[in-house]
Amino acid sequence: MAGETERLSWGELLNPLTMGPIQQLGLLGVAGLFVVPVVAPPIRTIQLAGALFFATWVMSWDFVSGYTGEISFGHALFFGVGGYPSGMLNLHLGVDPWIAAPLGALTAAIAGLLIGFPSLRVKGPYFSLITLVAPLIVISVFRFSPDLTGGELGLVSVGRVEKLSAIGPIPSPGIDPFAGYYLALAIFLLSAVVFIAITRADAGVVFTAIRADEVALAATGKNPAKFKLFAFVVSALVGGFAGAMYGHSIGGFSPSELLALVVSIEVIIAAILGGMGTITGAAVGGIVFHMLRVALRNADTVSIPFTGIEVELVIPLLGVPLGEIYLLLFGLVTLGFLFFLPEGIVPRAGAEWRRRRSPEGEAVPDGGETAGVLAVHAWLDELRDLLGGDRR
Amino acid sequence: MPTGVGFASYVLVLGALYSLIAIGFTLIFGVGGVLNLAHGALLAVGAYAAVATVSLTDSIVLGAFAALVVPAVASLGLYVGMIRSVRDNPITVLILTLVVAIVTEQVLLQVFGGQELVVRNLVSGEFDVLGGISRHLGVMFVVSWLLIGALFYFVNETRTGRAILATSMSDRGAALVGIDAERVYALTWLLAGGLAGIAGLFLAEFSVAHPFMGRSPLILAFAIVVVGGLGSIRGSVVGAYLISFLDQAMVSFVSERLAGVSALVVLVVVLLVKPEGLFGRELVEE
Amino acid sequence: MVNNGRIRCVGDGSVRSRVARRSFLRATGAGATGVALAGCLGDSDGGDGSVPDTITVGSLGPSDSPLGASIHNSAELAVEEINADGGIAGADVEVSTKDTKDQPSTARDVYKELTTGEDVEATVGIFGSEQLLAIMDDIAQAETVHLTSGAATPEAPALLAEDYEKYRPWFRVGPTNSTFLDDSLVTFASERFDAMGWETVAFIAEDFKWTEPVTDGISQRLSDEANVEVTQVRRVSEGTEDFTPIFEEIENNGVDGVYTALAHIGTTPLVQWAKQQRPFGFGGIHVPTQLPSYYAATEGAAIATFSNTTATPTSEITDKTVPYANAYNEAYDGYPVYSGYSTYDAVYMFKNAVEAAESVATDDVIAELEAASHTGTSGTLEFYGRDQEFPHDVKYGPDLAQGVYFQWQPDEEGNGQQRVIWPDDLQESDYISPPWA
Repeated sequence: MAGETERLSWGELLNPLTMGPIQQLGLLGVAGLFVVPVVAPPIRTIQLAGALFFATWVMSWDFVSGYTGEISFGHALFFGVGGYPSGMLNLHLGVDPWIAAPLGALTAAIAGLLIGFPSLRVKGPYFSLITLVAPLIVISVFRFSPDLTGGELGLVSVGRVEKLSAIGPIPSPGIDPFAGYYLALAIFLLSAVVFIAITRADAGVVFTAIRADEVALAATGKNPAKFKLFAFVVSALVGGFAGAMYGHSIGGFSPSELLALVVSIEVIIAAILGGMGTITGAAVGGIVFHMLRVALRNADTVSIPFTGIEVELVIPLLGVPLGEIYLLLFGLVTLGFLFFLPEGIVPRAGAEWRRRRSPEGEAVPDGGETAGVLAVHAWLDELRDLLGGDRR
Repeated sequence: MPTGVGFASYVLVLGALYSLIAIGFTLIFGVGGVLNLAHGALLAVGAYAAVATVSLTDSIVLGAFAALVVPAVASLGLYVGMIRSVRDNPITVLILTLVVAIVTEQVLLQVFGGQELVVRNLVSGEFDVLGGISRHLGVMFVVSWLLIGALFYFVNETRTGRAILATSMSDRGAALVGIDAERVYALTWLLAGGLAGIAGLFLAEFSVAHPFMGRSPLILAFAIVVVGGLGSIRGSVVGAYLISFLDQAMVSFVSERLAGVSALVVLVVVLLVKPEGLFGRELVEE
Repeated sequence: MVNNGRIRCVGDGSVRSRVARRSFLRATGAGATGVALAGCLGDSDGGDGSVPDTITVGSLGPSDSPLGASIHNSAELAVEEINADGGIAGADVEVSTKDTKDQPSTARDVYKELTTGEDVEATVGIFGSEQLLAIMDDIAQAETVHLTSGAATPEAPALLAEDYEKYRPWFRVGPTNSTFLDDSLVTFASERFDAMGWETVAFIAEDFKWTEPVTDGISQRLSDEANVEVTQVRRVSEGTEDFTPIFEEIENNGVDGVYTALAHIGTTPLVQWAKQQRPFGFGGIHVPTQLPSYYAATEGAAIATFSNTTATPTSEITDKTVPYANAYNEAYDGYPVYSGYSTYDAVYMFKNAVEAAESVATDDVIAELEAASHTGTSGTLEFYGRDQEFPHDVKYGPDLAQGVYFQWQPDEEGNGQQRVIWPDDLQESDYISPPWA
């Protein structure tokens, strides 16, 4: 299933004219992102900047978990371990944010290495447990020295962290919302290009193969351990860099933004909704998730067109406004997806479109169901080994 | 610095409570191979079931009954309605149970609000012995051990219990001798839910009930179960006491800020160094 | 270059000045762009001195918590009353409530929605110092008047002291700056501890930013000014779920009472203190016990605990306090928390300022607020001037706003009542010891 992608050269990959219509649609979407601040109200621009950072995080999760199948339940660790050192370097030592942020990203890459190593030894659900616990340990450590970290409340409770400063004619992304937006867009696109380039090239084939059957891969002479580590380091580097830049531009440094369990979960949910193991699905899922969350938060009433009637969006029995329960709604929607559309929106839409175009069906280029099913069997066998049960 | 008697009795009581928290979790994993991340949420369901019952009937005994029954039924419903169909895919199960946990917390938050609620003690008053340890803690200790003992007896001595044991070793083998594995799975979820509910009630009585009260116990359960060996009931009890001792020692003699940290560190160290746990993969047999 | 055209923003800001946009795209200079956009991010009526037909006030607070609900409800209550009485200078008033989820990030997002998105004329509320600090830069940028009514951090006025021009739209109606809390605690101790029989105390504070000014030197001050022996000052971190070892130690030291500075993590120690029937008193600053529903919610564990607060439903701090509390109770079936009193006052102070200025322009309103002296539900409210230590912060003192101390005491039917035990002129009852101590 990966053979098709393997044959394409870089030039072919990047030429818009030879791209499939879906890729062309993606390019159109990117172009759309560039003009948003010009056509949309400023508040949308501000919100979308947040969505782009979030989507970057979702991609960084998808890069590891969607491709190698090592599900990370605590990816926020990397956002936080990238963001916090950067914020703390600035707050306590006065390092300029433009220098502190790459240093933060480096710290995150080291964390990626540290988390990546156990993944070579500890498999499947066990590894997921380690990732789940790692950010909790970091939060506990932070709690232990609130003078440095602000504990549960973040750096804002310690002091003021500087925003990214203006460079020449470009205003500070921390103060000017449009500079903030284009900074977010630049990071989003850069990350997307890096992730897509790697996953669509040779390494991506290896990643997917890791998910499908590590032993068979090792037999071909490739070293799955090396590739896994590489995936973790790159994912952490990008996620951590985005975390640092987020904190120094439109956001802040607090566990609720960068480290909390709920951040890790939201990232997973967004990737599931968009489609795991596709990068593009994760990007779309991330943006849509964030914007839907904002929309729901403000959806106290909807007006029915032409009638002038306003309907209050309230959950019948509880009398709770819809906006207060976005996480509940997303949770329920995700449950539905896991049951009825496990491959996510973007791959399903792509597959539907291709199926209509050519009824005999083409190979699914990236992370379709086949890989998923293979991964499931691999996981299952691993678990059975651990449990000592029968191999099915 | 607390007195030696106070310290020892808290280790004893909390160890029993931690065991109660962990056993249901390990039971489900040992028998069905499922890591149930909604286990912590079931604790909260138990506590709130008691809160609601107490406010309706003004009887904590009925409340305790509700704390046993409601999570047990919820747990069974979770298995039958969702987990059963995806049981063979551990990652889907992990994500699914995690989302169920989030949804449950949110429902509790919306129905009961975010305010911390007090659950009244099953019994009040103090023993005069043991340096003023309250009677309530004594009851917690005794009830926890009664439940643990009953579970041991059930698993090892009764016919249904042996079926659970057999299924945990080999579901195919169990099927060969005529055990309905599906029934066994359902039974373990029911048992685990009830145990979690009572643990949640005790936890809420010890401090307060809160929609997110199940999160750190879930991590605690991981730590205990990983230390004791995933799937081992006896290992869980030993693990629970080990962690309760470490935790109390850290809190009492070093700093309260370290509460819960020892569990996390132990968890990671054991996973890295000896992933099969201190007691190996012995499942529920004795 | 950008100032050659007046920048106007209409409605929700969906139409922006072409001048502003072009200047941004040309990126002619950071300062200029900042100025150009500032006009579009906040108060669109800046400078033209009129009062629009409709004035929208934004209300910020965590909706799930009683502290946030009191903010939102009180803003709505005040606005209903104002509208029934002819509005603000003839203008209809609307409230837009936003849930901060008690998270700095959400607070920042929804604040932008109010100012940039909905173009409100003022915002009130905010609970939690961290949420307030998270939006301070946005307040500066939006140039929209903000009246804080639920966060006590001294950092906010410190920003004004540093850069008054930038942060001038910020005011605090209540609660009083937390640097005054140690004054309050020491005053209460020296006037009441003797009668309460508290000779030896332990001080417990949660390890949060706001308690730092309280714990610094409290031990010395209590022994110097109130003649009290302090056995220990202990800062407890968030996530502490078991206070047994701490209480054990305190009990072994033979203290008469635990003096507290607790807000976020107050319930667990209080409940464990009551359930373990520790033989010492418990109180000081304890935010959860201020909730009027707290006695019932804790099944009576709050018995005999005391705390300072802005006002209680029965305390006649001014002749507005009790009528407001009753109106609130009627409308929302329960009494407000301290953030409610201050929010209610904040909306009225904004109304008075706009009417005096006959304008909603930010600087006109600021000038009126700086000169205001308002008799509100929580006392006589005035703001410190720009050259003082805490610019735009509510003045603290006996004839201004200083709060009350109350204690939970059982009434004849066994329900809990918040009875004022300090100051003398508002006192309803004497302190009583816990029933088991």
